[in-house]
Amino acid sequence: MKESLMDIICCPMDKHDLELEVDDRNDEEVLAGTLVCTECGERYPIEDGIPNLLPPDMRD
Amino acid sequence: MDRDGRRGRDGPPGCDPKPARETPPARDPRTTYDRIAAHFSATREYAWPEVEAFLDGRRGDRGLDVGCGNGRHAEVLAGCAERTVGLDVSRELLEEARRRADERGFAFEPVHGDAARLPFAADAFDLAVYVATLHHLRPRSARVSSLDELARVLAPGGRGLVSAWSTEHGRFEADEGFDTTIDWTLPGGETVPRYYHIYDPEEFRADLDASDLSVVETFVSSGNCYAVVGGG
Repeated sequence: MKESLMDIICCPMDKHDLELEVDDRNDEEVLAGTLVCTECGERYPIEDGIPNLLPPDMRD
Repeated sequence: MDRDGRRGRDGPPGCDPKPARETPPARDPRTTYDRIAAHFSATREYAWPEVEAFLDGRRGDRGLDVGCGNGRHAEVLAGCAERTVGLDVSRELLEEARRRADERGFAFEPVHGDAARLPFAADAFDLAVYVATLHHLRPRSARVSSLDELARVLAPGGRGLVSAWSTEHGRFEADEGFDTTIDWTLPGGETVPRYYHIYDPEEFRADLDASDLSVVETFVSSGNCYAVVGGG
């Protein structure tokens, strides 16, 4: 995902801002990392460049 | 030919109508569409004309496709918006959409998420399409919640197009909305059941009115209920 997506995305549960932790990136995109809700602390993975913002009860 | 190009007017490709009692219960949409993604995508080449008509002449900074599937409508949206985000519950379909965007050179940002609990900030989008997705959510409260969510993420003055399969379609005999299971048949013959709520037009309007959306207009076209909506 492009880092500028941070302007738009939020926690699906409480709609608060997310914090980005980057594990791997290239010039254009964050390829792997974690999005952490600044309110509830829920952690959402970024896998192969796609943020997984499914609510926790729908995740594997 | 039906609008998606292969079978007759009585059904989209890959579909066989069966009463719910004759088929195993439909899995959740995520499991279903992850399973059928490649075949589904191959039979979903063209954008629906109603979506093209809605987007014709519209412009926006940010566009959202809720339930983007293989990206066929995100592709049209990308011609109207500076950036286009596609949300889907199926990771496999998001991969199909990303591949389509790469091959055809349109800007597309995939997000894996739930249409009833959108992971987007309030007022984030000027344009939205929410096509052929609402009818997969259950129960009704989840469908109305997802309409509320669309209202929340649409900016003031923003516009969205919502569609759902309708009792007005020739394959259905009922006059009132109902729940059903419709099989997707994979090339090898395996069937994958999909849950649908088939809307009657009055009920579609009632769910929109029960939500936070403001309704600009509603209409029926090619067996689907449509609404042009604003953020409320």
